[in-house]
Amino acid sequence: MSKLVLKFENSVLKELSVGAKEVSIGRSPDNGLVIDNPAVSHYHARVFNEEGRLMLEDFGSMNGTFVNGQRVKMVTLKPGDSVGIGKHTIVVTDSRDVRAPSLDHDQSKPAAPKINETVMLDTKERRDFLQKVAAVGESAQVAPARLKIPTLVVLEGRTDQREYTLNDKLTVIGKSAMATVKLRGWFAPKAAAQINRREDNSYYIGAADMTPTVNGNPVQHPTKLKSGDIIEVAGIQLEVVYRD
Amino acid sequence: MATDFGARSDAGRVRENNEDSFCLAPEINLFVLSDGMGGQASGEVASRLATETIVAYCREAQVNPSSALTGIRIAGVSDNSNRLASAIRLANRVVHQAAEHAPEQQGMGATVVAIWLADQRMSLAHVGDSRAYRLRAGQLEQLTQDHSFVADQVRRGSMTAQEAATSKLQNVLLRALGVDPDVQVEVDEHPLLEGDTILLCSDGLTRELSDAQIAGVLEDAEDSQEAADRLVDLANQAGGEDNITAVVVRHSAKPAGALARMGRWFKGSEIQS
Repeated sequence: MSKLVLKFENSVLKELSVGAKEVSIGRSPDNGLVIDNPAVSHYHARVFNEEGRLMLEDFGSMNGTFVNGQRVKMVTLKPGDSVGIGKHTIVVTDSRDVRAPSLDHDQSKPAAPKINETVMLDTKERRDFLQKVAAVGESAQVAPARLKIPTLVVLEGRTDQREYTLNDKLTVIGKSAMATVKLRGWFAPKAAAQINRREDNSYYIGAADMTPTVNGNPVQHPTKLKSGDIIEVAGIQLEVVYRD
Repeated sequence: MATDFGARSDAGRVRENNEDSFCLAPEINLFVLSDGMGGQASGEVASRLATETIVAYCREAQVNPSSALTGIRIAGVSDNSNRLASAIRLANRVVHQAAEHAPEQQGMGATVVAIWLADQRMSLAHVGDSRAYRLRAGQLEQLTQDHSFVADQVRRGSMTAQEAATSKLQNVLLRALGVDPDVQVEVDEHPLLEGDTILLCSDGLTRELSDAQIAGVLEDAEDSQEAADRLVDLANQAGGEDNITAVVVRHSAKPAGALARMGRWFKGSEIQS
């Protein structure tokens, strides 16, 4: 299946698959691909599949449709072609996406948001929509979040307790007054590292004044903690323990 | 606590209206941004109502610490974080009621992202897809998880970040202010370190600019206002397809660090002897 990627200068604005249904392009909001720009006609052109070939037809637009720089009326498109409409470019690509298209197919009913407008799915529509999505990817099920609170057990280093239960949304390891895991010693950093509980009740460790390691790997981005992980930072070693 | 802050909002190059709003209360270190949605001018109304309500509630809570919370107290966070969550629940109610009472404003809603700094702790709360980023030691980190359909799909592993970035379902929110009488507010806390720079922004900014571009501006700008201005200008240059808003807050503790204090102590002891 082919994909149309709408770009303005170097930024990608939209991406759209072309299935059995044609994609109309223009300034009017009822087009399949809306380009909201005065240089674009209300109904400017269309892209459609015919006998396995991808076709482009210009609707006699004022400012024209260009393929690889050439003004066209009707042409066959191939991957890599660049379609110019006004100052926008539509790049034709081969879609190897196996999941997203099934969403695109069914853009007609429950949740077909207008491309340029932020919308909120109301509760019923959202349920229907999410059901539909669940049907698309069964493998994508998330286990229901249960509130299991981990404990940090101190294996090595100078701290004020032997272990800490991560009851708070934020746990700071350091010398600061707000730190839960209190470091001792003159040169201990105020906030060596931070651990955040997210809304799904998972815990992430991130760098603060220092870069901690988890199982020997430096934490460059917030890293999800799991039972048995060994955290090292500022001369202390902690084990993450999930107890039943 | 000393904070350097700046903000700018722009309609962009395509839209006629600017439905984004921000409301800043630097005297209590509170910074709020909202992106409105809805027909006619109602998006503007929603985002303005939301930001003003949040600031008004927090100012009141600052003066009167015993003022009532709305909704259930969240365990394991500071009082300020609870007040911020309360403020946003109240804003939700206000926008929702305004929408119900004025037919022309039905369906209006808004996102919100807000930070409240106190001591060394930052309370961060959001609903929707307006984001908070933090630049710390040259590293940019997105602190908020969008309450959007595509972000949810990425978290569930059924969409890649790349697919999400180009999906036409990007605009579908799973949470927003004003839609239902109650809203779930996501609250986080972060320690504030010397030099931490926080960016609050609407999706009109993040759809146009890469993380590297954002980090570059935050790092290079002389002050927060210059950073906010340059971010909005860059997003406009990249297309300006949507309203663009940036609020930049740079945290710095008092100039007296540990060494300065030690220096004073030594000086003091000299005088005494």
